Amino acid sequence: MSAPLLQISNLAGGYPPVSVFHGIDFSIGDHESVGFFGPNGHGKSTLLKTIAGLIDPWDGDIVFDGVQLNAKGRMRARTSRNLNYDLFRRRRMVAQTAVRSGLIYVMQGNLLFPEMTVGEVLEIAPVAAAGRQGVGEMREQIDALFPRLRERWTSKIRYLSGGERQMVSIAVGLLALPRLLMLDEPTLGLSPKLRIELSVAIRKIRQTKVPLIIVDQNIEFLTSLVDRLLLFDHGSITREIAADAMPSHDEVMAMMFGEAS
Amino acid sequence: MISADTLAFILMSGILLGGLYALMATGLAIVWTTLGVFNFAHGTLLALGAYVAWQVTQSVSGGLGFLLAVIISMGVMFLVGFLLHYVLIKPFERHENVVLLAVITTLAGASIIENTILLSWGPRDRQISPPISGKIEFFGAAFNTYDFVILGISLLALLALAFFLRHTTRGRSMRAAAQNREAAELMGLNVSLLFALTIGLAAATAALAGIFIGSLRFISPAFGADPLMKSLIVVILGGVARFSSPIYAAFIVGIAESFSAYFLGLYWAPAVLFAMMIAVLLIKPEGLFGHRSKTL
Repeated sequence: MSAPLLQISNLAGGYPPVSVFHGIDFSIGDHESVGFFGPNGHGKSTLLKTIAGLIDPWDGDIVFDGVQLNAKGRMRARTSRNLNYDLFRRRRMVAQTAVRSGLIYVMQGNLLFPEMTVGEVLEIAPVAAAGRQGVGEMREQIDALFPRLRERWTSKIRYLSGGERQMVSIAVGLLALPRLLMLDEPTLGLSPKLRIELSVAIRKIRQTKVPLIIVDQNIEFLTSLVDRLLLFDHGSITREIAADAMPSHDEVMAMMFGEAS
Repeated sequence: MISADTLAFILMSGILLGGLYALMATGLAIVWTTLGVFNFAHGTLLALGAYVAWQVTQSVSGGLGFLLAVIISMGVMFLVGFLLHYVLIKPFERHENVVLLAVITTLAGASIIENTILLSWGPRDRQISPPISGKIEFFGAAFNTYDFVILGISLLALLALAFFLRHTTRGRSMRAAAQNREAAELMGLNVSLLFALTIGLAAATAALAGIFIGSLRFISPAFGADPLMKSLIVVILGGVARFSSPIYAAFIVGIAESFSAYFLGLYWAPAVLFAMMIAVLLIKPEGLFGHRSKTL
């Protein structure tokens, strides 16, 4: 077996001094999709933000496509009464390197750039794809996926509905020509109609063989999309379920919280 | 009873003043909206720009010298501003009190620049000789042609800046970085570089304003303090909700200043402006042309 696309080993992180997750190990191969499922507030988003390079990891390795993205070794937590070490602490990971190598994170409930128009945002979006081929084709693909965005081309993001904003977020992610796309609760807070529309679009993205990491609260939606499901609980991955043994919502609930009486 | 001619004269001088204030305040406003910190070195950047231009006009005289001075000074100040970001702001950007720290570091930077000017050019007042002389008759009062040229160039410079921010990829990226830093990073934009470019552009506009002031009045190492104060008043008065908010406010401040200078006396003008600023802070803290957000 060749080296996996994304290899996470023993990853720990959080918002100092609060540790959010620890001991995370998983890997994603080419053309593979993985779902994360777990209760709110247990660190799924923080984990994805760390992998994307927005937050410094505390420990462990993030290897994407054979390249180590974060600084090796443990982050030393030094405190002093007199010196402010914050000023000397360097970033242990930079989002730009992750994004430029094709590791794209679509943030949860992303507000994007409120005062810019859809067109302006989508025109500057391909910076991350710097020099790579295929932005033009991706634009056509996005037009087909989200025809609604063309209609709202000149409206400011501020005036878009939650669903339209989510579409722009995903389109921005796609325009970076992802080699791995991380979608953080793409259907959060949407109306049922929009939820269906978006899940259809995500299914189409899945068919283009782009590897996905999806976080969602809807287990039926997740199981229909992914090859593997990782259950996330109290800051670590507690269980891994393969595609052929995908459980129903009730079964997962029982696994995580115990049998309902 | 004062005549209509006098009123028109006061109004016109206010507008001419306003153009200059708009140029000064916009530099301050784009740094505030983009980086979220207040650049107290803006005034000394104005002074440094003026001194650089003065140095150029010493070796090349005439209209060509002035033009050359403007170009060189703006270029040099762009670089200075660019570097200031990496020296004064970037090392502290991850600190929780970055806004407060930036106040101290930019004040320190201002002090260093001011003393550098003092060391290199000495404390004597200088003047950049204006490239255009001549008068224009306007409502029976004579205005310097140069004043109108300044107003025109200031507005043109602001238009060019607005065009850059709205219609070029680089400018749009700068707006994106200003509006949502995290999302900009996730898009692969080099946010630090964009921030540095923003301060560089602000410093270049400051240089232009500094040259204009230096050719109207005198320049001395500490002359940046007054423009900084005026820009502060303009930015607070107008708010920073849009690119144009401080520009409108600049004309209001300019007109208010010339009216109060005429009717109350020159020494009362700052008091009137500060009173206006305090009134706005009490009644509409987000500024006359603002809503509760800050964007570019």
